[in-house]
Amino acid sequence: MTEEQIIKKYEDLLRRYNILNRISEIVASTNELDKILRIILKGVTFGDGFGFNRAFLFLADQKIDHLKGKLAIGTETAEEAWKIWGEIQKKNYSLEEFLSQEKLIIEENLSLNERLKKITIPITSGKIIEQCLTNGNPVNIDLTLENPSPDINQFSDASLIENEILDLIKHPKFCIIPLISRTKKVGILIVDNKYNGREITKEDIIFLMMLGQFAASSIRNTIIYNELKENLNNLAKVNYQIKILKEYNENIIESVPLSMFAVDNNFNITACNKNFSDIMHISKYDLIGKNIKNFVIKINDFNLVDEISNVMADKKVEGFYKVKLEMNNIINESIYDLFLVMLKDSKNNINGVIGIIEDVTITVKLEKSLQEARRFAELGKFSATVAHEIRNPLVSIGGYANRIKRRYEERQEFDVNDAEVITSEIKRLEEILNDILDYASDKKVDFKVINLSEVLKYCLELAKIFAEQNNINISLLTGREFLDNQNLIINGSYDNLKQAFINVLNNALEASSSKQNVYFDTSIIEEFKQKWVEIKINNKSMIQNEKDLYKIFLPFYTTKIHGTGLGLTLTKKIIEEHSGNIDVESNSESGTTFIIKLPLIRIEDNI
Amino acid sequence: MKKVLVVEDETSIRNLYKEELIDESYEVITAGDGFEGYELFKKEHPDLITIDLKMPNMNGIELLDKIRREDKNTPIIIYSAYSEFTQNFSTWAADEYLVKSSDLTEFKEKVKELLLGKR
Repeated sequence: MTEEQIIKKYEDLLRRYNILNRISEIVASTNELDKILRIILKGVTFGDGFGFNRAFLFLADQKIDHLKGKLAIGTETAEEAWKIWGEIQKKNYSLEEFLSQEKLIIEENLSLNERLKKITIPITSGKIIEQCLTNGNPVNIDLTLENPSPDINQFSDASLIENEILDLIKHPKFCIIPLISRTKKVGILIVDNKYNGREITKEDIIFLMMLGQFAASSIRNTIIYNELKENLNNLAKVNYQIKILKEYNENIIESVPLSMFAVDNNFNITACNKNFSDIMHISKYDLIGKNIKNFVIKINDFNLVDEISNVMADKKVEGFYKVKLEMNNIINESIYDLFLVMLKDSKNNINGVIGIIEDVTITVKLEKSLQEARRFAELGKFSATVAHEIRNPLVSIGGYANRIKRRYEERQEFDVNDAEVITSEIKRLEEILNDILDYASDKKVDFKVINLSEVLKYCLELAKIFAEQNNINISLLTGREFLDNQNLIINGSYDNLKQAFINVLNNALEASSSKQNVYFDTSIIEEFKQKWVEIKINNKSMIQNEKDLYKIFLPFYTTKIHGTGLGLTLTKKIIEEHSGNIDVESNSESGTTFIIKLPLIRIEDNI
Repeated sequence: MKKVLVVEDETSIRNLYKEELIDESYEVITAGDGFEGYELFKKEHPDLITIDLKMPNMNGIELLDKIRREDKNTPIIIYSAYSEFTQNFSTWAADEYLVKSSDLTEFKEKVKELLLGKR
């Protein structure tokens, strides 16, 4: 090598390093993949740079099992090539100007690109591209060689080259550069000198490999960067959607006419709506994040926190109906239904409890007026029945009066028995009248906190006198001690309840025959989250017409000889005034049982 | 002597009807409800039956129906304290329908007419 040759070689090397350096600087200034690809290919084909006639770029797909044609720079024919390069030379672009010329896409031959972009090559075919990407070595193809030298990456076996590549290039000499970033296969770069026929040298390949390595990592970084950016964008979008959804949900929760709150497993309030903060008289800000145990909330006599614990432990829904709520010692005027429901996530884990509170004051008021309306209707029916019931004694009074008159007129006879019928029938009329007045009276019952045990004991004493006279035994199933030792505290009217229980006891005693038992049972039960006293009074005779059993409470429905037929009607009215309930069961086995339930306030031990 | 069966649950009225009809020279037998009334009808073969509509156990309509299934001829008077119940579908099988009254003149007249066979 002459001195001149050596100098030229080093100058060439320097020039290429310089170009490589400048290409890398421009690539680094952008993160648009298309731009980067274009810069790399332009750099490869720039006359003053590597100066290849054509360059083709393929990128691996996401799964890295196919290569796809992305970009080609070059022309289809030699004439086109000379024309374009001539024009570019005339303009005398610097490398930077040339590389950053956005609009100069004349070099991106449309038909060539069109053909390229249709190409998809499988990487796993075992042919030259797979080899190239697997071992990371460039392939310098020269199909004209008879004895290629593998040492300098020469290759000439067309049968091992993908047909798609041969069809695209249509030139026997070209070079394939693998684009590998670390171990990731990014794609391939193909260059040739189809038009000037310049040989691809060993130095060319070294520089192409350097460029290739740089291109691979730039491309991969850009792809990753863009993917990341897109993911971030999507994340932001999802976040926005979640925000909208959250606002939407919150709007729903705020708009429903219910008070709602949620607590987590540690009893911390995680959410609540304005309605809840309103009934609590505490701002939302002072509620959320606070432990609900800090607030005293009572549902009738129950503690809300205890009930939430129950729901968590029993994993069930709790409902409280028509209850009063007490918040921090202030009893709310309204009447509420309250539900406690478990808060479950999508995996069915329990994350806390939701409380839903509905103001049912208006409903309860409506129910009451409906009850009143029903009572008026009943009263209407009642009047008709009263008229009928009064007619019977009137008929016999009038009948006997006529009879006395007639017998006296006709025969001057007088039978004192006839007059006695009149007297007793008038007495009966008076009784009926009294009961009617009791039933129809709408005077407010004076409710006090009373001891039901006292009422029951009084009635039992009274009943015992009648029972002994008729040889009937009253047995107390829960024992006398139950009533002696426990004060059953309820809200009610002492006198009215006495009347109610005496009526039922009388009914049972009158239906019993000698030597029969009347059973009396008192117990405490829980229904609808409310404690009740349940009193059962049983006698052994069965009521006929089982299906019409409820009629026993209707006015003047009686099968007895004595009584006005209003006793049980009155009893039912009194029990219902006490928010209680009376029911009757009758069958041939156990006889007839009246079941009376009254809401219990509390039990006091009386020992 | 003609035999009249009075079926009535109200003791005082039952006795009133009984005594008034005895004064009219009839033989009177009485029953306190529909079951008893039906038994006496089977046993005593009365010439006329008077039935109160509203009674416990077996009411007047049921008794009327039961008797009419077996006997189409014996005159039957149905009466009730309900003035709004005039003769209707359920009582069409009776020969007379009366509203209870303290004046028994009409009642006694109807008994007499029916026993004489005047319709």
